[in-house]
Amino acid sequence: MHELPQNLVNGLLLGATYGLIAVGYTIVYGIVQLINFAHGEIFMTGAFGALSVYLGLGSGTSMWITIPLMILGAIVTSTVIAVLTERLAYRPLRNAPRLAPLITAIGVSITLQQLVWGFYPSAKSPRVFPSLPGGPYHIGSILIQSSDIFVLVAAVLSTLFLAYFVRSTRTGRAMQATAQDPDTAKLMGINTDRVIVIAFALGAAFAGIAGVAWGLRYGEIKFDMGFLTGLYAFTAAVLGGIGNIYGAMLGGLVLGLVQNLTAIYIADIPGMSQFSSQSWSSVWAFVILILVLMVRPQGLLGERVADRA
Amino acid sequence: MTALLEVEDLRVAYGKIEAVKGISFSIEEGQVVTLIGTNGAGKTTTLRTLSGLLKPTSGSVTFKGERIDGKQAHEIVQMGLAHSPEGRRIFARMTIEENLLLGAFLRRDQAGIQADIRHAYDLFPILGERRKQAAGTLSGGEQQMLAMGRALMSQPKLLMLDEPSMGLSPIMMQKIMSTITELRQGGMTILLVEQNAQAALSLADQGHVMEVGRISLSGTGADLLHDESVRKAYLGED
Amino acid sequence: MTDTLQLQSEAAARPKPAIPLPTSVARAATAAGAVITAASAFLSWTYSSQFPGDLTVSGYPGGLQWITFAGGLLTLLYTLVGYRVPVLRLLAPGGPEGTTVLLAVGSAVTTWFTLIAISVELGGLANLTGGGWVAGVGSLVAVVGALALPRDGEQTQDAKLRVLLYAGKRPELPPTQPESPWVEVPVVLVTLAVALGIFSYGIDTAYAELFGGFLILTGFTAWALNRSGDFTRLAALMQRNRTTAAVGAFVAAGLFPFTQQGGNAEANANLGVSILIFAATALGLNIVVGLAGLLDLGYVAFLGVGAYTAALVSGAAGAAFHVQFPFWAAALLGAAVSGVFGVLLGAPTLRVRGDYLAIVTLGFGEIFRIVVQNLDGTSGPNVTNGAIGISNVPDLNIFGFDFGSPHSLGWFTIGRFANYFELMLLFTAIIVLVFARSTNSRIGRAWIAIREDETAATAMGINGFRFKLLAFALGATLAGLAGTVFVHVNYSVVPDTFQFAGPTPPNSAFLLAAVVIGGMGTVTGPLVGASLFFLLQAKLSFLHDYQLLLFGLTLILFMRFRPEGIIPNRRRQLEFHEAETAEA
Repeated sequence: MHELPQNLVNGLLLGATYGLIAVGYTIVYGIVQLINFAHGEIFMTGAFGALSVYLGLGSGTSMWITIPLMILGAIVTSTVIAVLTERLAYRPLRNAPRLAPLITAIGVSITLQQLVWGFYPSAKSPRVFPSLPGGPYHIGSILIQSSDIFVLVAAVLSTLFLAYFVRSTRTGRAMQATAQDPDTAKLMGINTDRVIVIAFALGAAFAGIAGVAWGLRYGEIKFDMGFLTGLYAFTAAVLGGIGNIYGAMLGGLVLGLVQNLTAIYIADIPGMSQFSSQSWSSVWAFVILILVLMVRPQGLLGERVADRA
Repeated sequence: MTALLEVEDLRVAYGKIEAVKGISFSIEEGQVVTLIGTNGAGKTTTLRTLSGLLKPTSGSVTFKGERIDGKQAHEIVQMGLAHSPEGRRIFARMTIEENLLLGAFLRRDQAGIQADIRHAYDLFPILGERRKQAAGTLSGGEQQMLAMGRALMSQPKLLMLDEPSMGLSPIMMQKIMSTITELRQGGMTILLVEQNAQAALSLADQGHVMEVGRISLSGTGADLLHDESVRKAYLGED
Repeated sequence: MTDTLQLQSEAAARPKPAIPLPTSVARAATAAGAVITAASAFLSWTYSSQFPGDLTVSGYPGGLQWITFAGGLLTLLYTLVGYRVPVLRLLAPGGPEGTTVLLAVGSAVTTWFTLIAISVELGGLANLTGGGWVAGVGSLVAVVGALALPRDGEQTQDAKLRVLLYAGKRPELPPTQPESPWVEVPVVLVTLAVALGIFSYGIDTAYAELFGGFLILTGFTAWALNRSGDFTRLAALMQRNRTTAAVGAFVAAGLFPFTQQGGNAEANANLGVSILIFAATALGLNIVVGLAGLLDLGYVAFLGVGAYTAALVSGAAGAAFHVQFPFWAAALLGAAVSGVFGVLLGAPTLRVRGDYLAIVTLGFGEIFRIVVQNLDGTSGPNVTNGAIGISNVPDLNIFGFDFGSPHSLGWFTIGRFANYFELMLLFTAIIVLVFARSTNSRIGRAWIAIREDETAATAMGINGFRFKLLAFALGATLAGLAGTVFVHVNYSVVPDTFQFAGPTPPNSAFLLAAVVIGGMGTVTGPLVGASLFFLLQAKLSFLHDYQLLLFGLTLILFMRFRPEGIIPNRRRQLEFHEAETAEA
């Protein structure tokens, strides 16, 4: 007998982290139709930004001050890096053929990873990340860590904020308009360059928060943690319907659940007992991506969007 | 008095292909000016350059006494030049009201915006009835009304309309043309690009005929309407 | 707007030389500087023989002095062209002066690179002898002279890059009439021989300093010859004598192991065969990326599929199946299995947006590595022997020819790696042939149509999906084929070879970079790109820690400033630059 409730909770928490990162892919893709490969690295730099703040504050500081400052540090780091890459690497290629910015994105991704690996103190091996005090808490048979609560609160608040922002603010409307038709958005007086920067910054801020959540949950961070996680998060964004913000969150949750549950239940399928270990879970995530693309390429919440010429 | 818009020797190219080959014209305040010509004559390219979506290779555009070639599109809108693009280009997944609000994107006077939205609904009652509907559900003519209403929301000094009658039924076209007349009577300056030369010339003060990137003929609307070559080429008479 | 207009009128008048001197003086100074530079190579440059290459000997050049010598001679040559020496004038159809500037600067940079390397490594300028100073001063005199020559290049308006563009752009050359084959064919052959010589020398450079100097001079010379118009003329010549050039190139490449007979012969042949495998794989990727416009980020996995397939049927002790196929069967099987994976992966993803393919292939690349790592008997069934990989893959034996041992051919000895080099050359020829045939066929035109505008292509009746799948599967098959040789050359195959990005080739990112930076859609581009990347990482090992960083930055910079790559495909170049004018 497996502990189903516990696994559900674990899956949802992992999924919430994916969702936070996936939002960044989806916003940027929705507006400039670019898969920002470097977004996983934005997430990673956020975690390192938070770690730097923690190390700078020293161990004597109260958690109630440290944690918010770490979050701030993560958001600032991620956002600044994302805005810089947009300005320096992507913007000059705005009208280039599609392949050019994609290749640039790969270059940015490798560059960011290597910068952290080569120049962040002792980042060649994993760096220990602080953990939250308190816990674990028992709710029935479910065990919950303090960091889990952080992930949960962060995901819910972020989603609510984003929903409000996109729907009810002037900038949010400008983002929607730019996503639908950039040229006409310009004719409305929208500075689309600014909107694109905001989209990158917003996605990066969420990735930064996800970076903190990741560090708190797993206790260590590494220069290449953004690569596979970014790949999963992108899968989540496609799963939810790329371009759709709620879809990104939903996709993240579904992917997290599937990854967690397959790792355990696949062993119950006769003949598959060997394929259940954690090391196979990325394979199943990937199989799901392919299946989704075959069956419902527009994703769970996506509308059919025609390719823009 | 200087003209509201002054275009001088404007040239625009896509890569090595020149689409507009040095055109000059001007628009006085309160005038309705029309550009007519066949497909590919460079009319839409001209409008897209005036509104800053394209950059000219040479020449100048002066609006309200200020050079605007080289300015960004949103800065040009801010100066009071509105452009209702070819093919209407409404935001299909947003509501009618949201479309109108986007037209007023650069304005901060909430009361004025609300008043103008009501004004748009007076001008086009059908829009008011469906204000909460997704704009994509409107018919072609209704979308054109929305596009015009949206362009007016920025309180422009000069309104540029690109083929407002394209693909519309005769009745709808009548409605659109009478709205343009109404706007003109209200003192709006309009630059109208049309393939329907008859309709455009009969309400224009000035007309220019464009052929393969150049202005081949200019005159008052009435003059052109009676010009032999225009009648042959664009009005389908022999 | 007014700014641009002013710049244009400036450009119309030829700008003045940077240094005001009478032209005759300038030319004489350049020539003298070049002669001194070349001659200085025969002097001793330093007291200590600790600097690699031993530059202490007077009487003949050694090590980096050879590079300086070559630089001086090249500068002298083009200065003589400037003197309007009859036959030599043919060498610079695009104008000799700009070319001379580039060559003079190039040889000065290599010379000073050497002098600085000596000072830094041996501790201070005191280590330079008179000969070193002669070289340094001579090369600078040549630069000063060259900068005073009249400027014959067309100037561009981009103000930001003024200094870099000093030499100007080559004017548009009038097309030439074909010469008689008795002239053209020897020129083709000589060119190929020179290319082989330069390549062999580059591979044989024994230490990083020498390779660095070599690279600097080669880079500047390539720039100079592009500026002089020689490359354009040669390209036209090669195009006219396509078959001769192609066959000649392969013969020249085949002669490469014969140029490597010293103590480093096997190591150099190993480098050579690795470059070939890498280049052939890059060429396969070029079909997918360069011709069909599909971004494949997990391409190295197909090389892996081929390699593992061949290893599994090679009779290696670690393999799960104890069978030994003859090599032709293993090669075909490896290619076929790889092709099947290509179809399995392409069929679901090629129907949807192009960008998804990038991420799916990236995923596939990672998954492939994880799967072969897991099929180790504990995490999964034992097929691939997990992280340890399949080792002791036996050497090939085709028709009694043992690839594992050296063979003597007259005066020459052909070692193990040289054997494989010749085999891989054959495979590369096949891949080049497939590439060239498909480019100029109905299929190739369909790919271009899809790449440029899929909607329009579909409207013309091209089944986009089918052609994309064909490109994708073909690419996979060719990589699988290369993989079958790869595993025999390296004795073994381990999962970690097949990463997305890593410090050593082949990995997907390096392959992609070889294609993109070499030149998408061309045959020579990926070959040049692959050789360059492979040699760079193999020779400049002191940069090991920063290699990937530099690599990432190179990708970004190339996409920004030269998206068409080192060797541009005409059509591609237009695609990349057409949007720049009108769009705001």
